Amino acid sequence: MAGIGEARIRVPDRIAQGDIITVNSIVSHPMDTGFFRTKDGDPIPAYFISDVVITYGGDEVARFEWTSGISRDPVVTFTLKADREAPLAITWKDNKGGVYSQSVNIAFARA
Amino acid sequence: MAGSPELPRRSFLQTLALASAGLLGSAAIARSGRLLGGTVPRGPEDPEIPNEEVARIYRERFGGRTITRAHVQLDMPAVAEDGRIVPVIIESDLPMTADHYVKGIHLIVDHNPDAHLAGFYLTPAVGQVSISTRIKMKRSTWVRAILETNTGELWADYAKVLVTLNGCG
Repeated sequence: MAGIGEARIRVPDRIAQGDIITVNSIVSHPMDTGFFRTKDGDPIPAYFISDVVITYGGDEVARFEWTSGISRDPVVTFTLKADREAPLAITWKDNKGGVYSQSVNIAFARA
Repeated sequence: MAGSPELPRRSFLQTLALASAGLLGSAAIARSGRLLGGTVPRGPEDPEIPNEEVARIYRERFGGRTITRAHVQLDMPAVAEDGRIVPVIIESDLPMTADHYVKGIHLIVDHNPDAHLAGFYLTPAVGQVSISTRIKMKRSTWVRAILETNTGELWADYAKVLVTLNGCG
């Protein structure tokens, strides 16, 4: 992926009210542990996403607490009970103050 | 693996060496296990608490409460060839209703620099417990997925993962 913080969220194409849907997400981030060095021997400082907050229609539905043990360009898949039409938003925060957000609209398929 | 025929043999020999060393050291290990066990709650099917860091996580996060191996499925590869990217799937059949739900999932990798690798805190709005991600692993070790319900019950599953390439540096 490209620049740090670029993010994508994927939800099913057709959602019916009440479905428990699978939400896939990815954010571009190096997730440096602080244990590696560059080719010149300089230490690479720890640089990783530490907090993830998921909201649905503005209500917090989940929150993740991460360390640099999550792989580079973190992916996370979770579920959501789609009981109303509302935006689903994810905010990722890193240990250097970076804040990255992405959202999708949960809308129900018309028959 | 095809490109490095020496690797399986080497790891086999290492395993053998570790196994024989383990026989000699088992009395000492049993003693230290008892020492740690005195302060750490452990179910009969739990893997041994391997170090003070994991013992500390157990004390701080779970207090003296019993952890039972049930209701949780931790899916991981038995062998992770690249420790930088190891897939993890955590699922549970526990309910996610307003009255009874899983409020937290703790993912612990015994021999990683940050043993408490991640916490996933949920609400009934997610509908069910199904989380997947990709993690880094330093070396072969037990991985623990411990779920806490809103009423304070603790449920777990464990997976032993063999790591070929150190993913933590």
